[in-house]
Amino acid sequence: MKKCDILIIGNGVAGLFAACVAADRGKKVQILSYGAGTLTIGGGIIDVLGYDDQGKFVSDPLKGMESMSPEHPYAKTGPKIAKEAIDSFLKITEAEGYPYLGSADKNMWLPTAMGNFKPTCLVPRTMDASALFKAKNILVVGFDTMKDFYAEMATRNLRERFGADKSVEEFVVKLNFEYGRDLRDISAMDVARWLETDEGHQAFVAQVKSHVKADTAIVLPPVLGLEPNYEVLDSLQKELGCPLVEMSSLPPAVTGTRLNKMLHSYAKKHGVQIIEKARVVGSEIVDGKCLAVITEGFDRQRKFYADQFILATGGVYGGGITTQIGTMTEPIFNISIKVPEVQTDWSYKQLFADKKQIFAQYGVKVDENLTPVAADGSKPASNVKVAGRSLAGYDFCYEKSGNGVALITAYKAAAAFCGEA
Amino acid sequence: MLKTTVVVIGGGATGVGILRDLSMRGVDAILVERDDLGYWTSSRFHGLLHSGGRYAVKDKEAAKECIQENTILRRIGRHCVEATESLFVRAPEDSEEFEQEWVKSCGECGISAIPISMDEAFKLEPNLSRKLLSAYRCPGAAIDGFRLLWQTVASANKYGGKAMTYKEVTAIETENGTVVGVKIRDKWTGVEDKIACDFVISAAGSFAGEVAHMAGLTVNVKPSKGTLIAFNHRICNRVVHRLHKSSDADIFVPHGSITILGTTSIDSAPDDTSTETAEVKAMLEIGKITFEEIYDYRILRVFAGTRPLYSADPNAKGRSASRGFVALDHAHDGIKHFMSVCGGKFTTYRLMAEKVCNIVCEQLGVNEKCHTAEENLVDDPSPELMNRAKAVFPSYGAELASSRLGNEKLERVIKHIETDPEMKELVCECENVTLAEIDEIAAEPTSHTVSDVRRRTRLGMGTCQGTFCAYRSVGAINKENMPWAKDSVDLLKDFLETRWKGIRPVLWGNMLRDIELTRAIYDAALNLSGVEDIK
Repeated sequence: MKKCDILIIGNGVAGLFAACVAADRGKKVQILSYGAGTLTIGGGIIDVLGYDDQGKFVSDPLKGMESMSPEHPYAKTGPKIAKEAIDSFLKITEAEGYPYLGSADKNMWLPTAMGNFKPTCLVPRTMDASALFKAKNILVVGFDTMKDFYAEMATRNLRERFGADKSVEEFVVKLNFEYGRDLRDISAMDVARWLETDEGHQAFVAQVKSHVKADTAIVLPPVLGLEPNYEVLDSLQKELGCPLVEMSSLPPAVTGTRLNKMLHSYAKKHGVQIIEKARVVGSEIVDGKCLAVITEGFDRQRKFYADQFILATGGVYGGGITTQIGTMTEPIFNISIKVPEVQTDWSYKQLFADKKQIFAQYGVKVDENLTPVAADGSKPASNVKVAGRSLAGYDFCYEKSGNGVALITAYKAAAAFCGEA
Repeated sequence: MLKTTVVVIGGGATGVGILRDLSMRGVDAILVERDDLGYWTSSRFHGLLHSGGRYAVKDKEAAKECIQENTILRRIGRHCVEATESLFVRAPEDSEEFEQEWVKSCGECGISAIPISMDEAFKLEPNLSRKLLSAYRCPGAAIDGFRLLWQTVASANKYGGKAMTYKEVTAIETENGTVVGVKIRDKWTGVEDKIACDFVISAAGSFAGEVAHMAGLTVNVKPSKGTLIAFNHRICNRVVHRLHKSSDADIFVPHGSITILGTTSIDSAPDDTSTETAEVKAMLEIGKITFEEIYDYRILRVFAGTRPLYSADPNAKGRSASRGFVALDHAHDGIKHFMSVCGGKFTTYRLMAEKVCNIVCEQLGVNEKCHTAEENLVDDPSPELMNRAKAVFPSYGAELASSRLGNEKLERVIKHIETDPEMKELVCECENVTLAEIDEIAAEPTSHTVSDVRRRTRLGMGTCQGTFCAYRSVGAINKENMPWAKDSVDLLKDFLETRWKGIRPVLWGNMLRDIELTRAIYDAALNLSGVEDIK
């Protein structure tokens, strides 16, 4: 078995970005991936820090990071690394021809499928909501047989929010797909694929065009193509003569799929080797250092050796952390995570409790170098670093910090393994 | 002011049973319920139609009533019953002598208990623990509490009986020691009204004490809380009982794609429907004796209801109190034409109603006999209607929709889809609920919340527990013509918080994963809880 420099476990945002960062610095990088990751479920937008601990809106995420609790991943990275990470991500998006908008020191507001708004930091150009705030008329575009988007609800909520300032109208495109229409079994993915075809493009323009008045911005669910480029957006904007804005919406995530494809493409171009269907079940640790991680497939166990390891397996949802009654464990390095014995102590009585949920903050504790620390204070493996959702100390939902923590901790882990501070 | 002969307080099984019985005998009656029909105990149970086997040894009277009513309900309420049959299984922990006594008792009570080999039992129910020693097939079944209630009311409606939901009784009025009416208040509008009547029957279950108190009387109800676990699997195809002296967590009841395990017995307040992790853990430990892999099954939710056990002796407690029912004629306490009905079992709700109505009718001078066992709750759909249903619903959904809706609504929903095929959209894939069905139920005057719609349609009650259909159902309901469904964010929060209550005590494994997904969708992507601060 050939040994690589850095072995990354997990191919979500954190794993892929860490691989890109390390590969950029000339390292030989392997990713062990298992399943599609949660990227295609979550969206492709980069939330960095939308709300502070008190639920107050943070207009400058970098500034907001200065007052994090010491347990928070951002307290381990600091604003300087955060800025480098975000800049480095933006460079990758440019290199891949799918540049993102935004910067680490400024949040923006993005419309959601409810017809309300959420704060976020970086978005693809298909989600440039500034057009929405500028335009006098908003046209909410839905699709008649598409699942999980209700144009009427979004329209009504937007109308209520803007009042007399703007006119908000609704238009529903008829898809006329041969399949799936009876049960409204068409997803945003299907529509995105359709808009990449000439037929879809023409049908969309033909139906929508007459409803576009002067000074109009169109908002619609994320359907502007599955590929990480702006061909669909640019051509539609040109023909309709108005800006189009995708909303933050439910899975499956078209924008997450684009981000996934873009990061994969960049990683592969830079020599990262991605090994699929590699379910990591354990590790071999000698004298406080990890020698190899062990995968289990249908046939046999295999060992993957490396000098350094980045654990980017995700949290409870992604499978990076497992729980049973009264216990929580990181299974690969067998790190037990301290949790209350009584399950109801894991959470508040309300799911939306107007504060960070308790269980959301459970995860692997790390030192200031992102090296894992066990419950007894010992460090199981000094050449391992943790990035992304398996980290303790934050609630990505409440804070709106999901992909931001992933990118920034991945950057720090990878850069540190490449000899940078 | 409304006028009727009898006011029935309480929209649980007992109350609706009495409403139907009185209406069929030609007695004017109005039922008033403070919440939604079946909001309390009548839906917070296993959904078990007893064969009587569970009571055969301890209470032959109850066992005989159960098998008699079981046979009747399979006939008159066949759209609410999944005739699964039941299996009684003995574990090494359970007494062999009890088994022998039980077999003898079942014979005496007329309950069919067919012994089968363990090989056959394992063939029928592959998930059963291989340590089990003996098994018997009995005629138990699964029953849908919500549906039975609504169909019983639909049947009463045909005879002029009325049920009003979200009407709280605020006073019971008497003149010269005789009841003359009740005061009610609408929960949503706060509007107060009066119903003049000749007779009041309190069928308020665990709240019977509070209702009696309004008339200055004492009724000794000892609510006993039972916790239930709903699993995301059809663990067994039959109801499975442990063959031993009745105890906690020894009954599994399959319902569609899920299974419910129950229960426990703890003295509680009437409105205490909370559940603790410790109870769930204890139940899983016991359940493991029947199904060894129980810890591997994903739990959908846990819930609890209170049994309205009646006890003349204020010191009697929990499971040892009688499961039978009592009808208290408060003439003995100085108020005429006021009666409280306490205790009882869901399975025998019809028989209880019959007995109560016999007493009431005698006092009212009505000679008509009870007909409730003779007539089906709802008519079977015609083959023509079912053929139309099969053309517009997904294959499995036609039967489901038909049994949920009843003929009249089914026909309207079919017509809606026939004229507008897009109404065929499946809002809830787990339970095959179409947009047309939601439209129909949401527009009913009895619907005030998404949960009301949920109880009628089973929307969001399947395996995803509302993760996806929460958004869909609110999107489907949030329309111009639906006055109660204006605030979409509030509706969504209500729906998700209601669901959260049942998951919080079992927040581990896949339950926690599912909640992470829910929060990722509703908080991270849709910002349900964050404030907007747009400059």
